[in-house]
Amino acid sequence: MDKAILLEMNNIEKIFAHVQALDRVNFQVRRGEVHTLLGENGAGKSTLIKILTGVYPKDGGQIFMEGREVNIASREDAAALGISVIFQELSLIPTLCVYQNIMLGKEFSRFGFVQAKKEKKKIADLIEYYGFSLGVNDIVETLSVAQMQMVEILKALAADAKLIIMDEPTASLSSHESKLLFSIIDQLRERGVSIIYISHRLEEVFKLSDRITILRDGKIAGVVEKNQINPSEIIKMMIGKSVSEATASRMLRQSEEETVLSIQHLCCLGAYEDVSLEVKRGEVLVLTGLVGSGRTELIRAIYGADPYDSGKIELEGKPYQPQIKKAVAEGFGLIPEDRRTQGLSPLLSVTGNVALTNYDKISSKGFVSKAREEELGRHAVRLVDLRPPNPNVLAGNLSGGNQQKVVLGKWLTRNLKVLLIDEPTVGIDIGAKDEIYQIIETLSQNGVAVLMVSSDIAEVLRVAHRIIVMREGKIAKEFHTGIVTQEDILMASSGLDTEGEV
Amino acid sequence: MRQETLRRIISFALLLVLIVVFSTTTDSFLTPANITTLLRECSVIGILSIGVTITIITGGNDLSCGHLMGTVCMVFAHLYYYTSFSLIAILLISLLAAIAGGLLNGVCVGLLQIPDFVATLSTQFIFTGLTYILAIRNEYGQISAAQINNKTMVALGGQIPGGLYLVTLVFFGMAILGQIFLKRTKHGIYIYAIGANRKSAEYSGISFIRTKILAFVISGVCAFVAAMFTIGRYHSNEVATGQTFALQAISAAVIGGAAFTGGRGDMWGTVSGVLFMQVLRNGMRKYGFTTQTQAVVSGVIIVLMLIFDAYYNEFMQKRSRRAAAAERENKAVNGNG
Repeated sequence: MDKAILLEMNNIEKIFAHVQALDRVNFQVRRGEVHTLLGENGAGKSTLIKILTGVYPKDGGQIFMEGREVNIASREDAAALGISVIFQELSLIPTLCVYQNIMLGKEFSRFGFVQAKKEKKKIADLIEYYGFSLGVNDIVETLSVAQMQMVEILKALAADAKLIIMDEPTASLSSHESKLLFSIIDQLRERGVSIIYISHRLEEVFKLSDRITILRDGKIAGVVEKNQINPSEIIKMMIGKSVSEATASRMLRQSEEETVLSIQHLCCLGAYEDVSLEVKRGEVLVLTGLVGSGRTELIRAIYGADPYDSGKIELEGKPYQPQIKKAVAEGFGLIPEDRRTQGLSPLLSVTGNVALTNYDKISSKGFVSKAREEELGRHAVRLVDLRPPNPNVLAGNLSGGNQQKVVLGKWLTRNLKVLLIDEPTVGIDIGAKDEIYQIIETLSQNGVAVLMVSSDIAEVLRVAHRIIVMREGKIAKEFHTGIVTQEDILMASSGLDTEGEV
Repeated sequence: MRQETLRRIISFALLLVLIVVFSTTTDSFLTPANITTLLRECSVIGILSIGVTITIITGGNDLSCGHLMGTVCMVFAHLYYYTSFSLIAILLISLLAAIAGGLLNGVCVGLLQIPDFVATLSTQFIFTGLTYILAIRNEYGQISAAQINNKTMVALGGQIPGGLYLVTLVFFGMAILGQIFLKRTKHGIYIYAIGANRKSAEYSGISFIRTKILAFVISGVCAFVAAMFTIGRYHSNEVATGQTFALQAISAAVIGGAAFTGGRGDMWGTVSGVLFMQVLRNGMRKYGFTTQTQAVVSGVIIVLMLIFDAYYNEFMQKRSRRAAAAERENKAVNGNG
């Protein structure tokens, strides 16, 4: 097989607002190679891909495609060079059929009329060549996620892609569908197409990759050939030695307090199944695992935002049927996954946002007391230490960290029993992160039971009293006593820890 | 089953049920005269709704098509009254006016990125204003109805051998052309692509601006055709012509399965929606319902259709998610066993 170098990225640099997102990164892809980019969230994988596909301009370095230096300023440039991306969020037209999607924008046409026969023939040949199970006339919205991915791949191939980038392609696939995808990847590789593969699922990465490049904090931490793959070494490279002791490991403790929230055998088909857990007074229980392992769906169900199929929930020993209105009255709070769209109302002031959860306290007979509302706003600003401490500024104009503080403020002003938190520090700078952790700590000291979802392992180890790792909708492992390290959690969430299996 | 397939079946089935009910319970429904009249009465709205359907498929709307039609009627009447241009010239200028109106909508929505609803709501006022400015006035300066007795125009309002009105034939012909445009030409496919998923259509190199402008210009051309047949039918023109037509055209498209969220709908659906509305109205008249009652019944049916769309989508999504999960479950069980 031709093992010539297809893509070479040399000394790539990218700086975002004084943060070095990529620091002299060298990255090479050979022809017909499956090359995995590995790294934790924020290591720089997606930044590198965005530079390669023309979404971001690079701040330094060179890109060579087939030995020729190229300048990629847009997605069109990337496509013209034969670089295609299969996105996590599929980008097909649901109401058009397979061949129309694949040929979109590149139709064979005469006088504006599409030569459907010719198009169908071409796509059918392509489907046959790669052995996909797909009909050219199938309407995309009737396909399974795996089939939609095939259409995306075909779209890339029809555009003569030499390099296909797959970003977490198995995140929404079943294990059977994943196997199918792997066989497709094998065929692509055999036919000389190169693939840049991004996944957090280490097991599949180790099986699939010809080479792995590990990124950490915007730098290359190592490049490993297939025959040198050693899981624990690679995990060490991902985590690095540079992490401070505070977040490298954590001493867990079992709480002796009484149980506040108890969940028994909760199931929701397609999201999670048979999840049982308890959260005690003043305890911070963190649910971690890979994206798509059912964590968000679980805490939304507990809050009453989504339905579940079966199982029982108990609040302070009494049966509890989730419903949002009741949840607020009973002392539940939710810090949702996406603060901008679910957490706050950007056109309202800080006070206005905090008031949203507190109208029972600041209104009487249907009229809102302006004085009490303003007092509440000032109180919230003090509670979360908003800076500058201005309760009248529009929430939409605040920085990410301050916005999240406002979302916390909405609930801190109430007497909480249970706070459900979903990825509280995504896109927030380090200083504000720490303050948010302190707020969570204070809450737990005041006896609030905290159930938090987080994918950031350093964060998990920073705040957790107890850790549950979820995998494919089930509880894969619980860490409740003793010292737990980043390696332990990574192994458990990617399914590499065999002793964790029952 | 896909939403569209089921919707198609439902709207045709409803139409059929109505026809059967009215045919069996009244004597005057299923007569050749009533049928040709019925078809004549819905054809102008039908022609407008062809253009409207295309704008709806792009994820938009055209609230101004009836008002634009009114303006085009008045452009024609104005030139007919106040100039000595030949009929061909007048027709040509009217067509250009209609295209200009469509272009205005298209530029507002495409280039200036104003939401369709707001843009076409505003152009409604512009078109109505222009209609008044161009209106025919008597010697006291009062607006008066314009008589247009040109033979060619009168012929447009007439019947063809066999009894069908010419306007009905044109409506069906345009629907067929519209269907061919949507399904067989690349710009037709772009209409669906922009409406269903604007971002990914743009990533495929399809211009949002050009697609929107095209859709609204088509709607403008439909308004022109509708305007000429309106003049042909009434031999005169008033300032109020077409003011209520847009909503009727939109309702017909929606009943036919065009979704405001974009990417769905076609001409067969719209034709069935147009016929449905007209059969309903005709039949209710035979039953002696008042105009007010007819309006309430039509409104209720539109709301029911929209409720169906909203819930059906949600229901189907949930079901397919469950099916996928169940399949996964099966595979897992079989795989381990």
